[in-house]
Amino acid sequence: MRVSSSGFFQALGIFYLRAARTLCFRPFVITLVGIVWYAFLLCSTGALGDSPEDPTVMKRRQQGILTGMPFMANITPRTFVDDAGRKLYVAKVPSRVVSLAPSITEMLFALGLDEQIVGVTEFCDFPAAASTKPKVGYANPNLESLLALRPDMVIAPREFSRANILAKLDELKVPVFLIEASSLENIFSHIHQLGRIFDRSTSAHAVTLAMRRRMAEISSLVEPLPRRRVLYVLNSRPLITVGPGSYIHQMIGLAGGVNIASEASAPYPRLEMETVLKENPEVIIFPMGSVETVPRSEQQEWRRWTTLSAVQQQHLREVSADALNRPGPRVMEGLAQLARVIHPEAFPSDTAPLRP
Amino acid sequence: MMSSAGRPTSPAPQPPLTSPSVSSTPTHTIGCDRLFQGAILTPSRWCAIMGGLSLAAILLALVCLQLGTQYIGLGRIAQLVASSFFGLSGDQETLDTTGVILLQVRLPRMFLGFVVGVCLASVGVALQALLRNPLADPYVLGVSSGAALGVAVAVLFGIGTTLLALSALPLCGFLGGLLALLVVYRMAVTYDRLPIHSVLLAGVILNAIFSALIMFITSIMEPNRSFGMMAWLMGSLQAPAFPALAALSIYLFVGLVLLFKQVRVLNILALGEEPARSLGIETERTKRFIFLISALLTGAVVSVSGMIGFIGMVIPHAVRLMVGADHRLLLPASALVGGMFLMAADTIARTAFVPSEVPVGIITALAGGPFFVYLLVWRKDRLA
Repeated sequence: MRVSSSGFFQALGIFYLRAARTLCFRPFVITLVGIVWYAFLLCSTGALGDSPEDPTVMKRRQQGILTGMPFMANITPRTFVDDAGRKLYVAKVPSRVVSLAPSITEMLFALGLDEQIVGVTEFCDFPAAASTKPKVGYANPNLESLLALRPDMVIAPREFSRANILAKLDELKVPVFLIEASSLENIFSHIHQLGRIFDRSTSAHAVTLAMRRRMAEISSLVEPLPRRRVLYVLNSRPLITVGPGSYIHQMIGLAGGVNIASEASAPYPRLEMETVLKENPEVIIFPMGSVETVPRSEQQEWRRWTTLSAVQQQHLREVSADALNRPGPRVMEGLAQLARVIHPEAFPSDTAPLRP
Repeated sequence: MMSSAGRPTSPAPQPPLTSPSVSSTPTHTIGCDRLFQGAILTPSRWCAIMGGLSLAAILLALVCLQLGTQYIGLGRIAQLVASSFFGLSGDQETLDTTGVILLQVRLPRMFLGFVVGVCLASVGVALQALLRNPLADPYVLGVSSGAALGVAVAVLFGIGTTLLALSALPLCGFLGGLLALLVVYRMAVTYDRLPIHSVLLAGVILNAIFSALIMFITSIMEPNRSFGMMAWLMGSLQAPAFPALAALSIYLFVGLVLLFKQVRVLNILALGEEPARSLGIETERTKRFIFLISALLTGAVVSVSGMIGFIGMVIPHAVRLMVGADHRLLLPASALVGGMFLMAADTIARTAFVPSEVPVGIITALAGGPFFVYLLVWRKDRLA
């Protein structure tokens, strides 16, 4: 309809259509009401000036018990920047903390924060005390049960924190600290950061020192040995492995191996069988959890690639998935296991778990 | 990608036909006219199109066989194939890595891609005729998500046993597909008849339910396993071991033969219920039969390669635009084109980001979508 003037209708003698003109202000009224309402909402939530939908932007406003003076945030030692670049000003030591990942739970326990942990995920099974804590879900944490625990600090992994939940928590002034482990150094710095937040720097230092000692010990054992080409099978069908940008890739290097997917462009790339055959790994590693990640039958299927030196030398090995896949304090146990399966000759005292 | 069997080289825009007549001869280059839609199906036309497509498929297969993580020339391929299939040194021990890559990775994978493409396209044709609905494809019936749900459940409970050279996952997927089929069928059967729209509706509803269940399962899984599960759902043509591949191929072959025997019935069913019944076809039984075969084929394919969409719906359409709606030609031609299409798409998925690979479903959608749009926009005159 190109027609907008009522003169046209008059010329046609269609009177009743002229009434339509009186309705024309209704959209304006509706829009106006909408604008007013939206402005009211904005003011009431105090959301003007920060964007809750983007959790990764730097926050000026401080939250929760952290709300000190905004200018304090940049000068006190109680200011922390998490892995998403968000600044948190923690005025006093949090006394009720919720962990949203098994690795985080293990770190908190390692710092001796049994009392302060009030909530964990359903996959937190280590240490044993963790399983008695209230659960709040994992990939989709339940916001209500989380808030019911009255946390004054939430520590969450960056990859599983959902933007809407994060925004809600920000709005409710519950401080959230996001962490992401893409290298071993990240794990150390996480432990130190948590130590500073919870005023446990001493134990944090003790924990990381022990970890570094263990790391040096393992590296020194495998250092003189020739490096072996390694394939780490996260998933058999489709074949998924670890690549640069994942800390497991780094650990394979530390354990005296060379990851055959070093060329890959993603932290967890899909790999093609042709690549595997061309790179010819000498050791194939299957992480095994409490539940089988890679079923044993699929491990058997790998035996048909008889040109692989790993198959010829019977080097299909298993490691504990829990120790490796959790970027926490137990990660060195994982490293020890890796070193053991890559270089069994370096550990004569104990026999590596070798599957026939 | 398409057949060399004479597509008109310059598709001149056509004036719309005033009266849709079946055997209207468009004013394209005269030589190609008899091959395409509008011409009456004669044995020579059938042979020309199928021959051209087969030739194209062979050429495409030869091209795809050379490409991969490492380029293997035709001479080397011939030598390897000859020595392993016809020579006495059929030992795998004597093969070098190149030989293993070619004969045990690339060839089975391409074969699987071709077979899966053939099955999906054929089932698409059958279902579109059966339901007289251009939107019908194996996925609409919910069979694929049923199969995927079966696999998800198996992964959740960590079922890792093997049965008859088939690992448990395809088997569970297969059972899930069957379950979906039975549920759709039960939902859709009213008064001992099978109304078309209710089948589609049942399929849509089931799809929603199954997808929700799959999402639920992946959300309660451990992160690492849900990661693998998601990757599997996106579709991948990593070929299983030879015994499983052989078993699957035989199974699919039998299903395809049974389906291909129904071409005349499909032609008649495509006209409608009443004409079919008056021509003496037991519509209910035939429909049930084709329906069952389609579901079984889809269930098997999905259980081995995950969800590869797009082929079942678009390839039949595209081929129908090219060669017309006679199922005696449409079904085999669609099957060949579907196989070729998936084989080529998988080659791209394998080689584009070496050493990683891309889920093949992404490639099929990206490559097929624009092509389909081209067909719709430029070759509207072919829409009968």
